[in-house]
Amino acid sequence: MFLRTSLYYQAFDGGVIPISVYAQIFPQLLEGAFVTIQLLILSAILGFLLSFLGGIGRLSRIDPIRWISGFFVEFLRGTSLLVQLFWLFYALPLLGIKLAPGLAGILALSLNYGAYGSEVVRGAIQSIPKGQTEAAIALNMTPRQQMWHVILPQAFRTMLPSFGNLFIELLKGTALVSLITIPDMTFEASAMRTNIEANTPEIFTLLLLMYFVIGYPLTLATRWLERRFSVGRL
Amino acid sequence: MRRLKRNRVGHLISKGSERVSEMTENNHVAVAEAPQSNQEQTEPIVRYRKVSKSFGDNQVLKEVDFDLYPGERVAVIGPSGSGKTTMARLLMTLEKPTSGTIEVDGRQLWHKEVKGKLVPADEKHLHEVRGDIGMVFQHFHLFPHMNILKNVSVAPIKVLGLSKEEAEERAKTMLDKVGMSDKLEAYPANLSGGQQQRVAIARALVMRPKVMLFDEPTSALDPELVGEVLDVIKEIAAEGEMAMMLITHEMSFARDVADRIVFFDEGRIIEQGRPEQIFTAPKTDRLQEFLKRFELNGSSS
Amino acid sequence: MWSWDFTFKILPQLLDTLWITISATIAAFAVAMIGGLILAFARRSTFRLLSWVTYAFIEFIRTTPPLVQLYVIFYVLPRYGLSLSPFTAGVIGLGIHYSTYLSEVYRAGIDSVPRGQWEAATALNFSPLQKWKTIILPQAIRPVVPVMGNYLIVMLKETPMLSAITLVELLGRAQIIGSNTFRYLEPITLVGLFFLVLSYSASRLVIRLEKRMNINHHGKMDAAA
Ligand SMILES: Nc1ncnc2c1ncn2[C@@H]1O[C@H](COP(=O)(O)OP(=O)(O)OP(=O)(O)O)[C@@H](O)[C@H]1O
Ligand SMILES: [Mg+2]
Repeated sequence: MFLRTSLYYQAFDGGVIPISVYAQIFPQLLEGAFVTIQLLILSAILGFLLSFLGGIGRLSRIDPIRWISGFFVEFLRGTSLLVQLFWLFYALPLLGIKLAPGLAGILALSLNYGAYGSEVVRGAIQSIPKGQTEAAIALNMTPRQQMWHVILPQAFRTMLPSFGNLFIELLKGTALVSLITIPDMTFEASAMRTNIEANTPEIFTLLLLMYFVIGYPLTLATRWLERRFSVGRL
Repeated sequence: MRRLKRNRVGHLISKGSERVSEMTENNHVAVAEAPQSNQEQTEPIVRYRKVSKSFGDNQVLKEVDFDLYPGERVAVIGPSGSGKTTMARLLMTLEKPTSGTIEVDGRQLWHKEVKGKLVPADEKHLHEVRGDIGMVFQHFHLFPHMNILKNVSVAPIKVLGLSKEEAEERAKTMLDKVGMSDKLEAYPANLSGGQQQRVAIARALVMRPKVMLFDEPTSALDPELVGEVLDVIKEIAAEGEMAMMLITHEMSFARDVADRIVFFDEGRIIEQGRPEQIFTAPKTDRLQEFLKRFELNGSSS
Repeated sequence: MWSWDFTFKILPQLLDTLWITISATIAAFAVAMIGGLILAFARRSTFRLLSWVTYAFIEFIRTTPPLVQLYVIFYVLPRYGLSLSPFTAGVIGLGIHYSTYLSEVYRAGIDSVPRGQWEAATALNFSPLQKWKTIILPQAIRPVVPVMGNYLIVMLKETPMLSAITLVELLGRAQIIGSNTFRYLEPITLVGLFFLVLSYSASRLVIRLEKRMNINHHGKMDAAA
């Protein structure tokens, strides 16, 4: 409705009212927003799973598992996200593996943030007092039961705020996929910039606002989680 | 359940003294005077043999020999850092001995027999033997994310494989015994230290271990809460079902509850015997020294 | 597939741009350190409006992608008469983005200075400036130095983004090599390895720093036996 009115004004006035510019830009950015949100959700789910794999793997009592997960986590944290994206997009095809850009994007995002998430998981598990494990051993729980019934439920509360923060970082990270031709919000904005250069300020202002609108609720939710879970236990 | 009916204490101490006399090179060792009545021979439920434990260069236990008999209640006393907690933690499999062996009910704990040879135990073996042991910790270590009923019933369900109903039934019985049956839905954070420790006792009891370890169960409590926990332990001790190893600094409690007192210092058992003898006629200088510190508290009267 | 000849041919070109990556990181970090301090003070201001505007600024910058912020600085500001080189735009953009993080770090550090220190400084009749300079800040910054070190490493790994505003740093160079030769595998892999080596050695340094500070500061070791 709002859009129609502004278009109406545009017709009336000959297209000089700024709001009509936004009406032109917004639909295209909105299309990109759907891509951004898809990327965000898929990478978040995959990254979340990888976080547990990596985090628990690094604490394994079995040496090779610990080494391998340690290597992957350190490797992914140590090389930069954009380099990883480019590597999957430009270099991997030369090794005979061609991924669709969307897949390369999701893979790079979830691997990279999954590696950071691993450290969150590991830190949270290690923050649970040793007495908890000892009490579980004294009750003759198996290592798996100790982890599943005693450690993880407690560690999970500690992880939540950090995962919230990582989620926001992930949202910001998705903007990078525009550089490997995935049509997310930032990609659409860049494309429009080359087409209607005169409106560059409006395009990027609206783009920033749209990221803020998606991201700020996440920030607020994270704060809430922090207050709810970080203070005292229970 | 093998139970010692008659003359339990005397018989045990004589067992202890045989061993103690083996290590007489260790100057201060005292032999408890005890009636020798060996007619009814019972196998110990726990047997430490030449158990040593070092943390780095720090040798905390020095070739300790120690037996615990079914149904026997032993109080372990001794100065801070003497290795009492470590003794218990080795039996609970929270710490691995550097050398020596521990037997539980005739089975090796830290070793298993493979073709006649003893090899280090794996988790599966520990899991089997550990079922006979229970422990109450100084700092309770209740699970903060579970309510009281869940704290006590989780292990029977997951470890013993009982049904939820059965496990909760058992849990409620135990919680009743420790006087906590009115708080089933409460979370540990909302309980006093004394209440938490009583729940922790119920949590350990519900597994029906043959040996129960108490590591200073009251020393993290405010003075006014100590009594309620000691009363619960006394009650359990009076039932005489389980062997109990009570590490404690509460001398009067040790004297009231224990069949035998073991005095630890610098990683060795220095002296052991019946409470009357230990508290009224300590033989070694070190025990005399140690007990002097408690006289001010009026614990020997 | 992988050609060592090619690898050794492009290695010098990449090494040439290494210093651009490093100097951009350090310059951006300097901007972030100073910007962060300014934001931390503005946020503490008793002048409500300033404090609130700072808060809104921090929230907004932290929630939106640094890449877009770089675009704004590089493509939008020239329309208002402010044209910046890719390097300057990149340093300012990354610097501002991370100044919002560092302001939080400063805040945590300042909050960790015990009340007594403020009171002692007041009792000694220090001027506000002296109080901050000689008493509060030295104590506030010490414990957060390792955290700052970690942000330096994070920023290092963000610099490839500057290739998007046409700065020819490591990744930009690799891309140019790639599009000229149609060989992307070696240059991009090398860039990844460079970052691995750089960030790994930097994090070793930070850990060393942290250990040193812990030793100097240690006093309580909580062990419940
Ligand atoms: N995990 C460990 N690592 C290193 N040293 C340890 C460890 N656990 C115990 N020790 C050391 O072993 C010695 C004996 O400790 P232990 O806890 O068994 O003594 P304790 O007799 O229970 O003392 P307290 O009465 O204070 O509880 C102490 O010197 C202690 O510092
Ligand atoms: Mg102890």
